[in-house]
Amino acid sequence: MTTGRDGFARMRTLQYVVLIIFGTIGLRLAYLQLIDRRYGELAKANTLRHVVQYPPRGEVFDRNGEYLVQSRECYDLMVIYREMDKEGFDTARMCGVLGIEPEKLRKELANARMQPRIPHMVANFIPKEKKLLFDECDFRGFFTIYRTVRQYPRKVGGNLLGYVGEVNREMLRRYPEYKRGDYIGMSGVESAYEPLLKGRKGVKLQEVDTHGAVKNSYMNGLYDSLAEPGKYLVCTIDARLQLFAEELMKGKVGAAVAIEPSTGEILMMVSSPTYDPDELVGRERGNNYMKMLHNKRRPLYNRAVSARYPPGSTFKLVQGLIGLQEGVLRPSDLHPCHMGYQVGRLSMKCHAHASPLDLRFAVATSCNAYFCYVFRDILDNPKYGGVKNGFDRWKEYVKSFGFGRKLGSDFLGEGNGYVPDRAFYDRRYRGSWNSLTVLSLSIGQGELGCTPLQMANLAAIVANRGYYYIPHIVRKIEGQDSLDRRFYEKHYTLVDPRHFEPIVEGMWRGVNVGGTSTAARLEGLDVCGKTGTAQNPHGRDHSTFLSFAPKNDPKIAISVYVENGGFGASAALPIASLIEEYYLTDTIRRPHLVDYVKNMNIYYPAYDR
Amino acid sequence: MTADRANGIFAGIDRVAILLYVSIVLAGCLSIFSASYDETSADPFAFSHFYMKQLVWVGLAWGAGLIVLLLDERFYHMFAYPAYFAGICLLLGTLAFGSTVHGAKAWFKFGSFAVQPVEFAKIATALAVARIMSNYTFSIGRISDLAKVGAIICLPLLIIILQNDTGSGVVLCSFLFVLYREGLNKWLCIPLLLIAALFVTSFLLSPLTLLVLLMLVCTFSEIMMSGQWRSRIVYLAALALAAALLFVVMALLTPGTMSFYHCLLTVTLASLIVVAVYAYRQNLPNILVTAGLFVCSLAFLASTDYLFEKLQPHQQKRIHSFLGIISEPSGADYNVNQSKIAIGSGGLTGKGLLQGTQIKYGFVPENHTDFIFCTVGEEWGFIGTTVVLSLLCLLILRLMRMGERQEEPFGRIYCYCVAAILLFHVLVNVGMTIGLMPVMGIPLPFMSYGGSSLIAFTILLFIAIRLDASTRQFSLDNF
Repeated sequence: MTTGRDGFARMRTLQYVVLIIFGTIGLRLAYLQLIDRRYGELAKANTLRHVVQYPPRGEVFDRNGEYLVQSRECYDLMVIYREMDKEGFDTARMCGVLGIEPEKLRKELANARMQPRIPHMVANFIPKEKKLLFDECDFRGFFTIYRTVRQYPRKVGGNLLGYVGEVNREMLRRYPEYKRGDYIGMSGVESAYEPLLKGRKGVKLQEVDTHGAVKNSYMNGLYDSLAEPGKYLVCTIDARLQLFAEELMKGKVGAAVAIEPSTGEILMMVSSPTYDPDELVGRERGNNYMKMLHNKRRPLYNRAVSARYPPGSTFKLVQGLIGLQEGVLRPSDLHPCHMGYQVGRLSMKCHAHASPLDLRFAVATSCNAYFCYVFRDILDNPKYGGVKNGFDRWKEYVKSFGFGRKLGSDFLGEGNGYVPDRAFYDRRYRGSWNSLTVLSLSIGQGELGCTPLQMANLAAIVANRGYYYIPHIVRKIEGQDSLDRRFYEKHYTLVDPRHFEPIVEGMWRGVNVGGTSTAARLEGLDVCGKTGTAQNPHGRDHSTFLSFAPKNDPKIAISVYVENGGFGASAALPIASLIEEYYLTDTIRRPHLVDYVKNMNIYYPAYDR
Repeated sequence: MTADRANGIFAGIDRVAILLYVSIVLAGCLSIFSASYDETSADPFAFSHFYMKQLVWVGLAWGAGLIVLLLDERFYHMFAYPAYFAGICLLLGTLAFGSTVHGAKAWFKFGSFAVQPVEFAKIATALAVARIMSNYTFSIGRISDLAKVGAIICLPLLIIILQNDTGSGVVLCSFLFVLYREGLNKWLCIPLLLIAALFVTSFLLSPLTLLVLLMLVCTFSEIMMSGQWRSRIVYLAALALAAALLFVVMALLTPGTMSFYHCLLTVTLASLIVVAVYAYRQNLPNILVTAGLFVCSLAFLASTDYLFEKLQPHQQKRIHSFLGIISEPSGADYNVNQSKIAIGSGGLTGKGLLQGTQIKYGFVPENHTDFIFCTVGEEWGFIGTTVVLSLLCLLILRLMRMGERQEEPFGRIYCYCVAAILLFHVLVNVGMTIGLMPVMGIPLPFMSYGGSSLIAFTILLFIAIRLDASTRQFSLDNF
């Protein structure tokens, strides 16, 4: 039935169906393309200019609602070469109005000529006043686009806030949603929160006549889309504290980080030397950037989150806590110390203090020998059968304090720090090593490397007696009720909170009764602190100080690290103490100390060679 | 001469079809290049450009086509059902684990590449339909056999509609074309088409008008099938009378509870039981089929409101805009309007390669995928569109001819399936760019940007070519 005559008839019918369908489409096309000229004219009238509407970038506030980063309006000058009035164009006049060099203008126009139909940027960062002047002049084919650039009222936090720049080729390839000429956060907060800050571009359709003059907006703006401004951020930073800390750190190389222990919010974060963030905005950006790049002290390097420093004696807190948790140490245990720890030919020097001494006193006076005993007891604990297993256990503890790994803060480029592992020593000592070989770890020397952020986090852990919140820099995001969940979780260390009391007591005594940190004493604030002096092969010792206050109900935990600053008490301690005082009491009652810190002269032969 | 043709792997391959295919693909590449070429791009040969990616897809598609040609034609016959089963599983898998693009949960994502299983499900359905209908005992006049084919077509259709990808689903309706060729009663085809039209326009008409139209359509087609018109008209008149009577009675007893629509509906449904029993006794299958069709489409129309709710807001807007219900200028018809302007502005000869202003400046959205035809229209004018359409038309006619010369019904039905799918795609896709069809978002075969669709269409076509080649090889041996 379907192959014979009937099938043939049906095939014919279907062929007609196909032809009718294509015929209908063809007729419709003929009507559209040949007869109805309306569409051609619509298209001609449709010489639309797509003007990209750039959104203002989100602003950044400090924790008290003060502007850290503002957006300032400025304009880009664009040209569509085809629409330019080539004969009547007055180069000199335009240069006069806009304050650009004739040479540059000519060069850009030559570039624009290559692609005459697309808007080409001639000059950028034109301030508003000049743009108004320009508007009065009516240069045909030229128009301006609204952009925003960054402005920093307090001029603080260069590395912290990061900078914004035009997307480069590499980024264009990696992030296809960006177009040439877009701005993108390159580092710091600007980069970490780029998706929120950048906002959404809009587009405005303008009908343009054959002379290139704008007639009106297409369909009364029906298909325009408005630019959506970026979201604002509220930082956890206290701008005044940041400014004060930056002043104190001026001339020194190092970093200072302060955290609010009860939330993990970063109150202040200085990487020194820093720079004025305004220098990386505008036309001079490139030059300034190169200058900084070649500065041997590396101002663009964020030491506060990336540098690896030996923690020095501040690490004794961790050793003590591990010892207590492991049960190899009781707070009342006495160990002797006569100017050092001596086993055979190996010796670890110490300074003069009473002997024998208990844990609290050992923390207060920062006794090296005491913690050599503690460290060796941890590693040689018979429970684990061998120093190597003991060392593995020790490393687990250290890791739980946030060392040797990223903390997971909202900072891109956060460093890991470094805690050596068993394999490292096996390689170095070809498998034969014991607790004496690695003894320098006991006082935070040797291969240990910590970022200042990790050290400040240690201060927060001790202040909280056993837990921390992941340090973070942003407190609130516009339109969001909360931050990422991870910032609200308590992270406990492997050490039980009850073991923290004697350590805290020792830190308190070191400041308030007698020890290495007495200069940090503040009346009525119950400061707890621990100095650190880290030997380093490149010159003078590094000075570090770790502290929190008040002892009960801590409001601030701080870590200051000054490279080549000498004793912990000589450089880092006064800085940390002043910052604490300023944050907690809002006043400075020791102006002489401020002068002392500011006039401190530290030489950096390693950098300034 | 015949001997060496018969021995090669590619013996009997229809060169005209291949030539048409290659020309269309190349025209597609050119259009995609034109639509997505970015003068401001730093690196014109970077892989991130659509036209560079499309070249890769073309390479892959040709590779796939070659593999299809190398396989034995019995393979397709044998694996029709397994392929269909796999296709259904894939669709269900998408429903469960797929990712959502433009509101349709119809994509599998592998890294940066996304695959649309719908495209491959079409091949599987075509194979299954061809397989079941080529069965020796199959008779299209028998209701149970018809129901089987209907089930094979409707199962993927339902899943695709559940994926919110109605546009791709409706493509399967094009199998009606094949059913007609295989002897489906034309008086069944016409009411089906009319009902489809009613479905589309059901938003415009009141339920009563719809019901009456539906009754008229069904009765009329039944009259044409059986040739007896007197009793049918009496039946209609009786229905109208009974409904009117019921309406009066109900209005007197409990005013306001039943509208005339409800009365007519009640009477009709009640009468259908009688009609069904009568038809069963008298052994009149036509009446049963028509009655079933009537009930189904009634249920279908009742559910259109629900189905319409299921559509994405942008699809609702497009349908409304197409039917002229919403005339608010908020721009639901922006796409179509701009695409008409683009095509219309092409004139006779077009503006030339890369000179299109409308597509270039992004007036036409999705100008490299669904609206690729605009590029042809604007840059190559009426001449270009005519050439491209002629190529597609010739390919479809060629496929039908290839079908006709098959020895086996399997090959014939499959070729017709391919022709039907292509025809539907062209009709809807080109139709929507020129304002003849609502915007449904299905690609133009072989031309639109996209790996899934290009590769799937290539496989679809090349299976047909393979089946045809083996027939010709065989017949060449005979002569």
